[in-house]
Amino acid sequence: MKSQYPPAGTLPRRAAAAGAALLLVGSTTAAPAAADDDGGTDTLTVAMAQQVDSFNPFTAQLAVTTNILRHVYDSLVTVDPETNEPAPSLAEDWQASDDGLTWTFNLREDAYFNDGEQLTADDVAWTLTTIMENEDAAIASGNYVAGFEEVTAEDDRTVVIDLEEPQATMTALNVPIVPQHVWEPIMEEEGEAFSDYANEDFPTVGSGPFMLTEHERGQQIRLEANPDHWRGSPGFDELVFRYYTEKDAAVEALRSGEVSFVYELTDAQATSLEGVEDVAVNISDGKRFQAFTINPGAETQDGEEFGDGHPALSDRTLRQAIVKAIDNDEIVEQGANGQAVAAGGYIPPRYEDFHWEPEGEEAVLGFDPDSANEMLDDAGYERGEDGVRTSPDGDRLELRMHVHSDRPDNVQAGQVMEERLADIGIEIDNRTVDPGILSDALYDAEYDLIFTGWTVNPDPDYVLSIHTCDGLPTEPGTMQGDAYFCNEEYDELYEAQLAEHEDKDQRAEYIHRMQQILYEEAVVNVLTYPNIMEAYRTDQIGDIQFEPAEGGNIWGQDGYWAWWSAEPADVRAGAGGGLSTGVLIGAGAVLLLLVAGGAYALIRRRATAEDRE
Amino acid sequence: MTGLDPRPAPRAPAPVPSPRVLARRRRRRALGRFARSYAHNRAGMAGLVSLLLIATAALTAPLFIDQAHLTVTGAPGQAYEPPSPEYPLGTDNFGRSVLDLIIWGARVSLAVGLLATVVSVSLGTLIGVTAGHFGSSGGTGGRITSTVLMRITDWFLVLPTLVLAVALAAVLPGGTGTIIAAIGLTVWPPTARLVRAQTLAVEARPYVERARALGGGHTHVMLWHVLPNVMPVVLAQTTLLVATSIIAESTLAFLGMGDPTTISWGGILEAARTAGAVSAGIWWYMVPPGLAIAVVALSFTLCGRALESVINPRLRENS
Amino acid sequence: MTSTSTATDGPAGAPTEDAPAGGGGRARRVALYVLGRLTTAVVSLGAVIVAGFFLFRILPGDPVRAMTEGREVSLEQEAELRRQFGLDQPLWSQFFDYAGGLLRLDLGVSFQYREPVTELILERLGPTLLLAGTGTIVAALLGLFLGARAGWRPGGRGDRVNTAVALFFWSVPTFWLGLLLIVLLASGRGFFPGLFPTSGMVAPDATGIEAVLSTARHMVLPVVTMVAVIYAQYLMIMRSSLIDEKGADYLTTARAKGLRDGLVRRRHAVPNALLPTVTLIFLNLGQVVSGVILVETVFSWPGLGHLFYSGLHVPDLGLVQGLFVLFAASVILMNLLADLVYPLLDPRVRP
Repeated sequence: MKSQYPPAGTLPRRAAAAGAALLLVGSTTAAPAAADDDGGTDTLTVAMAQQVDSFNPFTAQLAVTTNILRHVYDSLVTVDPETNEPAPSLAEDWQASDDGLTWTFNLREDAYFNDGEQLTADDVAWTLTTIMENEDAAIASGNYVAGFEEVTAEDDRTVVIDLEEPQATMTALNVPIVPQHVWEPIMEEEGEAFSDYANEDFPTVGSGPFMLTEHERGQQIRLEANPDHWRGSPGFDELVFRYYTEKDAAVEALRSGEVSFVYELTDAQATSLEGVEDVAVNISDGKRFQAFTINPGAETQDGEEFGDGHPALSDRTLRQAIVKAIDNDEIVEQGANGQAVAAGGYIPPRYEDFHWEPEGEEAVLGFDPDSANEMLDDAGYERGEDGVRTSPDGDRLELRMHVHSDRPDNVQAGQVMEERLADIGIEIDNRTVDPGILSDALYDAEYDLIFTGWTVNPDPDYVLSIHTCDGLPTEPGTMQGDAYFCNEEYDELYEAQLAEHEDKDQRAEYIHRMQQILYEEAVVNVLTYPNIMEAYRTDQIGDIQFEPAEGGNIWGQDGYWAWWSAEPADVRAGAGGGLSTGVLIGAGAVLLLLVAGGAYALIRRRATAEDRE
Repeated sequence: MTGLDPRPAPRAPAPVPSPRVLARRRRRRALGRFARSYAHNRAGMAGLVSLLLIATAALTAPLFIDQAHLTVTGAPGQAYEPPSPEYPLGTDNFGRSVLDLIIWGARVSLAVGLLATVVSVSLGTLIGVTAGHFGSSGGTGGRITSTVLMRITDWFLVLPTLVLAVALAAVLPGGTGTIIAAIGLTVWPPTARLVRAQTLAVEARPYVERARALGGGHTHVMLWHVLPNVMPVVLAQTTLLVATSIIAESTLAFLGMGDPTTISWGGILEAARTAGAVSAGIWWYMVPPGLAIAVVALSFTLCGRALESVINPRLRENS
Repeated sequence: MTSTSTATDGPAGAPTEDAPAGGGGRARRVALYVLGRLTTAVVSLGAVIVAGFFLFRILPGDPVRAMTEGREVSLEQEAELRRQFGLDQPLWSQFFDYAGGLLRLDLGVSFQYREPVTELILERLGPTLLLAGTGTIVAALLGLFLGARAGWRPGGRGDRVNTAVALFFWSVPTFWLGLLLIVLLASGRGFFPGLFPTSGMVAPDATGIEAVLSTARHMVLPVVTMVAVIYAQYLMIMRSSLIDEKGADYLTTARAKGLRDGLVRRRHAVPNALLPTVTLIFLNLGQVVSGVILVETVFSWPGLGHLFYSGLHVPDLGLVQGLFVLFAASVILMNLLADLVYPLLDPRVRP
């Protein structure tokens, strides 16, 4: 065991863990309302495909782990599922000074860790300060505290954060707050090895609505409800995440009721599940955008050129012609079989305020291959005998296109684009590759067209920041952004929106104009906003909170609304029967093996017997 | 090795007609004998016929498949149409006819299978013949070369084939060429061992010794005496390897190492899988490419086994 | 599955060739033989380790970037990850660290799981051995049994049907067969809806005897898939081995003694024909550990193959290269065992 606290046994681990949890919980308040209608536990099972890296909230990187940890550790602020606005969580309310450099968060009084200790301002200050000061602890959330100068606990309930410069994410601080009394000893003990510390001493001590109680690597992760959570006890007693490497296997498991929820469905799967009894398919507006960027000629911040992007792509006319040759509606139809929304601006329509769509005269880059051809003819891009154009400088327009091989929608969109760009005399060398190879090409600027995509948070600051001139690399290979884009007007607007933390409409206005610049420069070209497709069993989950409440999604919420709110369905058909059938069939399997083995032995025996004749 | 005996040694040449004419006549007769006994092997004939049919379909595909219908933007149908008279095997996610894709995919799959086999058989034959030849008649230096070559072969035999192919496919730049190389470079060791054993047997024959005594150099002996006699075994091995290579192509595609923009059977299967065709019940997208792989691999195997049994008379009774 | 073709692999490395001629006692000959085999195995393993290291280091793609791709991370965060994984060190120093670690059975740290690769492997070894072992045993029993029938009357109807079926399954892509079985037997709509679980190794809450039964139930489909694809190898080797054996003098003698045909087969021919298959079983046991990659992936079986698949695209260098070494080592070990055990069984090749 890596630390003596919290207590965890090795042998009958789960039993010990559960017992310990009960003891700890019991010591704080009245015994949990363990009155289940039928004495059993209500378990919600989620099929998942990604592996977890670590449950250490300071170092966990992967989306699936951060998602799970969100249920274990509360953060200061969450997102309101109705309005998409920042909503109170650990912090009941907060104020910013006029210059936006000092933020005061007032904590709620009824937040307890599941070991009975109260969560205080010291825990918050310690967590944030640790991330600021300890490199090993900054892996997961370092970006949130990059602009912090100091975090102080004024008293038990008040945290003050001083900033070096204004920061838009102050009301979206998605940093898990950990108990100082548990983690300080761990940090001391682990020292250098802290980043390898996996936080697998179960049950974990946190303040969230669930606690981690079990992890069988590659098989499942188990969370138990924290019945004393200040927001109220979750509807299910247990949350189990089970691994399915094959998405198809996961869908079949949903069909047969082995799991309650499956996410990241393909369009074919979603369609096929729609008619199935007791299964509800939920399709919601995506948070992601799918885009491709064009290498405009990579430069460092000092103006040093590097990489080997096609020289003609620094011409905006060519870039715009490329965009005009591509029909986003067709990408939706062919690339996503209709399960996406054709893109306009950079930020998905799910975020109404910030979303921007080119309308009327602004829509200069709508699908129009004839006009694209005309533009290129006028600009001196002559067609060669094979139909491929040559730039005025004499370079043949043969462009590499790097596509994510692990994203089917990208692969399909890439195939459509390849054929459409041939229509305007551009030959595409389609390179569908692993993400690692793709990012090598990106950071070394050895690409022409390259696919990208981001999940946009309710506060879009990050995805906007990566296209400022500060996002350019200081030296080749160190880029912060993903497009070698740099535009002075864009930068000015970025600063303006960052400083504008009071007037939301004004900030949205700035952000709209930024998107218009991105659109017209045709370096970052958004194709679609893929829909989120997921399905759950209505005979297992009775009620569940979407985020946003109308037309929202279940998996990948910014808060823990879905699993906290989920209520078991009334009908619990076949809960016992299923198991006994399972046992029966298992017994049958064993029997079969025995019979096979016995038959073999018998044959051998008979052989000897016949010999004796 | 499994006991692949060499063919009975040719009789010593009679003195009257010129040796060259005789040799040619002898070969023609041997070939005729060969063809006759192959024709007796029913399974082998079935495999051969099915291969010929598939190869014909693949080669003439451009005559009856409109290539524009295989493009993503020119797909004629709707996505995931079930089988109908117009699309006997339904359509894929883009609305392309699955039957057309399968026929067209045969071109790539067969090419990958054959080329990967050529790579591995050439490599295996080269190493096997060299090791066998120098091992039996190369003096100390030759024996060392031979030992080193066989040690390397043995070493490659212990490498996990699939893992090695995956690593090679990942290291080399993407594309069909890479898949061919990855398969070809991993499946050659058994061929090398087989060829070496056969070479040793051939080298022990009197006429090879005679050729050597008459001043035939290493190259001469290897090219003109050893190679022709090793060829039958190599041929049988080749047909078996094509089956392995075609299955390997689909396996690499499944592990995400293929080129999703090329139409091959493995590629179609992988596309069907990523589209979730299995759980969506779109069987016409998932079943045909797998069956096509199985049928072709089986045909090659049947041919290869028939060849083996013709070459090795001891196995002949098991037609 | 593996690329072992059905007909070409026989007992590899018949040990007779480098048995020292004459002189010395038998014990010395045996000792020399064993020592020779051991040296070969160790040298091979060393070469595998070196090759594995450098092969996977030239894999394109930066693992840190691939891992953080699409996430909001700063350069400092990336640099920190790189430092933790030792990727900021020069290649040779990384290699010596790795080689030094290997001596302590330390295979390095997995990038994505942030755990020692050795631990990960030990955790997953059991399930893989269970699956691969059961699969091999069932496939061997089935293949040998059918092969003995087929080989005794080659050309008969039973032989033809048996061989054709076996070869067909051998020609089928493993993962495809697995997926079809899931649809037919595990999904909510096949012939028997939900007859078997779609994936995993054991039901989450099962304990004791229930867990054993549940594991058995979970194993059915993966084992069936595996067996279907590989039993042909055993069938073929048994069949041709028996055909070889059929002409032997002792069988003629046995028949001349008036023993019944079936008895001759079971009592005399089959045991002798079994000998070459022993080597094959050992060789396959080695290869099968890596061969289960596909089956484990399709059925989400928490074993080594599954682990390999999960590290493939990251690329999780430490993990993938550790598994490469392990897979190769298992083949080397099994080859060694085959070399050592075979002479004990077959006096003809004793040194």
